[in-house]
Amino acid sequence: MNAAAQARDWLARIAAIAPARPIRVMNVCGGHERSISMAGLRGVLPDWITLIPGPGCPVCVCPEEDVHAAIGLARRPGTIVVAFGDMLRVPTNGPRAQPRSLQEARAAGADVRPVASPAEAVRIAHENPRQELVFFAAGFETTSAPVAAMIAQGLPANMSVLLSARRTWPAVAMLLGADTPGFDALVAPGHVAAVMGSEEWRFVAERHGLPCAVAGFEPASLLAALHAVISQHISGRPALENCYEGVVTRGGNPTARALLDGVFETVDAPWRGIGTIPASGFAIRPELARLDARARFDIAADPARTRAGQMPPGCDCARVVLGRIAPDQCTLFGRACTPRTPVGPCMVSDEGACRIWWSAGTRRRRADAAD
Amino acid sequence: MCLGIPMRVIARDGFVARCSARGIERDVSLFLLQHEPIDIGDHVVVHVGYAIQKIDPVAAAQAWELYDQMLAADAQDAGARNA
Repeated sequence: MNAAAQARDWLARIAAIAPARPIRVMNVCGGHERSISMAGLRGVLPDWITLIPGPGCPVCVCPEEDVHAAIGLARRPGTIVVAFGDMLRVPTNGPRAQPRSLQEARAAGADVRPVASPAEAVRIAHENPRQELVFFAAGFETTSAPVAAMIAQGLPANMSVLLSARRTWPAVAMLLGADTPGFDALVAPGHVAAVMGSEEWRFVAERHGLPCAVAGFEPASLLAALHAVISQHISGRPALENCYEGVVTRGGNPTARALLDGVFETVDAPWRGIGTIPASGFAIRPELARLDARARFDIAADPARTRAGQMPPGCDCARVVLGRIAPDQCTLFGRACTPRTPVGPCMVSDEGACRIWWSAGTRRRRADAAD
Repeated sequence: MCLGIPMRVIARDGFVARCSARGIERDVSLFLLQHEPIDIGDHVVVHVGYAIQKIDPVAAAQAWELYDQMLAADAQDAGARNA
């Protein structure tokens, strides 16, 4: 059976279910949300299933202070700041007279360059030995592991890392610890689990009693995971299922996990507009402080800055990230805020729910909108 | 950003593998797969220049069905924005 036939088969099996109550399924991966939107799964699934995009975009939750610090470093003479492309357009809350994004800093003369990989950052550092190179690295575990590998392999003397790495599961744990989590089941992120292992997600079923399945990115894998959590929901027997076998194992990638442990320590970390989530961040270990831009440069918070750490004024990205509202429930969505003129980070990043919904023309279905 | 792309290993020199997918070739680090034997012809999931997992050819082919659609959608999206 080819992938399309598998997807149709899973869809038919889901359509044949008649549950007693509706089910809200959260995903926490921009890649999942893109697949769901592009395949138009919301339009073909029964109306008793609501798919909610949750905290799946590391760029969206990257602390406003960190972007501000990167802009400050970029404006420092003799300094090059490199970052994954999405980060360059993320807006901060500065006064209009100052650059409010890395892209604006670049337009004002700072040396800011997009990179697609850690290797590219290292190459630029080698090519510019007289300048300081700062790699502003935001990402979840899938991206943090390559950054850890890059550090373990050794950096040029003129290079350091401004790390904004976040762990995915603690954000889900935070949502599940709330009085009203807002969802009934979880589809766990496939490539985070490829690195960290499926077992990291067992707490969803065992501690919180919610159905959980790890999914890949093809519609067939996502639909298999949806079928798994719906079946668990109906039977009342929540469990962890792996619907991305062949890529995801129970323990993940042992080399990647050992490198993450060796290079980083786990810390309580702020998420933009949301606040500090316990044990949700990676920080460079103190013994590697010379490679840490936070230790190498004077990055002091400016107490005069208002709205530090917050989303831009009027922007509802924080509630979108938490799955509290759908992208099209933000009053700016598609009006003041589009990919061409993004107000908030969720419209900037390829992984942001607002950007994905806008690009795919996604809207809440009438059934979901009535909730 | 957490999306990896399946590629096929076509040459290897230490931790650096020459990998290919859809006619595009890239140097990919195998540093994160030190625990696995990686041979020429194997498929790996590549994210920001690092192979993060070895996968079977069937999984790789299925993933590419999806990524072809994504790339087409991206091209459309970029076209719309530049119009």
